[in-house]
Amino acid sequence: MKGRMIGAFAGLAGLAAGGFATATALRAQEAPTDIKIGTLYASSGRYASISMPVHYGLKLWIDQKNAEGGMYVKAYDKKLPIKLVAYDDQSNTATAATLYNQLITQDKVDLLVADSGSVLTSVAVPIARDRKMFLFDQTGTGAAFFTKDNPYIALMSDPASTIWPKPLADFLSYDGPNLGIKRVAILYATNEFTGTQANAVKKFLKDAGDKVEIVFDQGVPTETSNYTVLINNIRAANPDAVLHLGYAPNDIAFLRNLQDNGIKFKMLFCIYPGLETELLEKNVGEKGLQYVYTYVPASEIKYDVNFGMNLDQFKDAWKKKYTDGKVEFGFNSVAGYTTGLVMEKAMSVATSMDQLEIRRAVFSLSGNLKTLDGTFALDETGGQTGELMPLGQLVPDKDGHIHFVSLYPHENANGKPVYPRP
Amino acid sequence: MLAYTLFAGILFGLYFSLVGLGLNLVFGVMRIVNLAHGDFLMLGAYLAFWLYTLSEVNPVAVIPLAFALFVLIGLPLYYILVPRLLAANDPEMLSIILFFGLSQVIEALAGIVFGRSERSIPGGELGRALAGFVNLFPGAKMESGPVEIFGQTFPAAWVVAGLASLLAVLCLYVYLYRTRLGALTRAVMADREEALSTGIDTHRVSAIAFAIGIALAAIGGVFAPFMLGSITPAMGVEATVTSFAVIVIGSLGNPLGTVLGGIVYGVSYMLMQSYLSSWANLLPYLLLIAILLVRPSGLLGRQVRLA
Repeated sequence: MKGRMIGAFAGLAGLAAGGFATATALRAQEAPTDIKIGTLYASSGRYASISMPVHYGLKLWIDQKNAEGGMYVKAYDKKLPIKLVAYDDQSNTATAATLYNQLITQDKVDLLVADSGSVLTSVAVPIARDRKMFLFDQTGTGAAFFTKDNPYIALMSDPASTIWPKPLADFLSYDGPNLGIKRVAILYATNEFTGTQANAVKKFLKDAGDKVEIVFDQGVPTETSNYTVLINNIRAANPDAVLHLGYAPNDIAFLRNLQDNGIKFKMLFCIYPGLETELLEKNVGEKGLQYVYTYVPASEIKYDVNFGMNLDQFKDAWKKKYTDGKVEFGFNSVAGYTTGLVMEKAMSVATSMDQLEIRRAVFSLSGNLKTLDGTFALDETGGQTGELMPLGQLVPDKDGHIHFVSLYPHENANGKPVYPRP
Repeated sequence: MLAYTLFAGILFGLYFSLVGLGLNLVFGVMRIVNLAHGDFLMLGAYLAFWLYTLSEVNPVAVIPLAFALFVLIGLPLYYILVPRLLAANDPEMLSIILFFGLSQVIEALAGIVFGRSERSIPGGELGRALAGFVNLFPGAKMESGPVEIFGQTFPAAWVVAGLASLLAVLCLYVYLYRTRLGALTRAVMADREEALSTGIDTHRVSAIAFAIGIALAAIGGVFAPFMLGSITPAMGVEATVTSFAVIVIGSLGNPLGTVLGGIVYGVSYMLMQSYLSSWANLLPYLLLIAILLVRPSGLLGRQVRLA
């Protein structure tokens, strides 16, 4: 009896071992030679200055991983080299749509990553959804991207536009009246990103009980490159605070036109002096950025990390890799690298390469992954809720060099607002 | 608000007259559409940016240099591209394809050399140049900064660009109407075949006109960092489209028409920005369609295209 039992155990062990060996062999057999990541970038056009830093950030992560022998992919239980398939959409949405389709149907990429910004992401969202391909949305924050019936998207690196401007709106509603801010002008570029932010600001102001009055509210095409007349019109409305919501080229033109006209608003908020400070400094100069209110992005805050490089390490790696200075370091470079980290962590969790399993793996990181971009947290629609950006102000030191002062929410504040600007 | 909008529109439009002037000259003489026009403007802008970055050369001082340099570039470029084009059955159509290709090549090369991000020159530089010039006159005292015209304040860059545009138009008129080469150029503009049959070296005349055309674009580019917010290698396409709208509004082949076209464009654009801002960028296309439907030869046109 005992002998039969031992024999049975031996048989079972043999079967198990055989099964394990077969499974391992199958896995090894099934494992591809590499993991294909497909993405787009804009080397020219309106969105080049926000796309190239993101792309370079992602490439930095890929090169690092490949230098280490690849990325661990749990589905194959081994490290695989990463192959980047990247096309240039030249900031053109029609080109981008064709190329996203090509990445999925011709190149058959394993992971699909959107180009930077809401405009170039907007065409990826329906394509990814139709093709049942999970979209790693790097910085596309448009409100319409995130719906309960679309499981094929998650936002990697910045908050959805619907919640992004909350610190700004709350500052105006709750701190503004005490400072003397009663009249607000809003000028925005009519695209998914800044259009949504403008609507969100108005909604937050209304929800707070209309403590400030909107005296100017106008949208302009994203391609606008001259604001002289608009600035004059805003001045005629006599606002206490001016919110200019546009992409980097819009902010550059707006701030330069302000300087050229010798006009100083008592409070001026722009998005990109915070997000792409280096780029804005090159174009507007430090003087033109003094006392501008903006978001304080991850490229300015040293978050504790539990995965990947911290901000200082990333900055050093960036400067070492990209020495020509043609692509500036800033929020978007951090965003590209963060996308890589999320993919790496998700691949170490996903048990298969099925796109819904990849989604499950990405969502399982929510609240647990802490990168140099802050805490990665998603809501049920895939919108980012963890990497919120406080409101800050660029204040000059005694040498005239600007630095960030965080103002709102108060728990993140490290200084007081300078209002009205000197 | 309306007065400011109108004045701003005139100044802004004068700049676009300068931008369109060269394109119109090239079309008037050769009947070819230079779709790379905006890219030469972009190269002029980067020349000014590069010289400023290198040794803080004031953009106003770059103007003669840009003119000379781009004339030197334009002359050989003409002989490489245009004679064969003019010998083709449909040079107008072929020129669109050829210069579109050239535009793409220039943009790609500029991207490699200069990078893709926005670049600018400090806005005060043109103000300094203007103040320096005005203060040369005895008793004059002007500070650099915004300029007041009829009680309205405008950026000094707009005033300098407007003056440069007027000067360029004047020079072009002197060239066309007060020089022998200009007379020959007008002869070629009127009828190329007839000019050839009278012994005019049409290629020499056209080459000079082509070179002047792209040099004028480059001068327009020197002001671009101040008028268009910032510069990028991709800015050429939009500049070409706007130039095209301006010269069609004014009339193809007529320099004075370009000034009128520029002012109509500038004033309309600023009015749109003030009262219908979301739609402002549709303006070049709307004006193009309207002019082509109502007056195909342009506001000052004399049925140039049918001649």
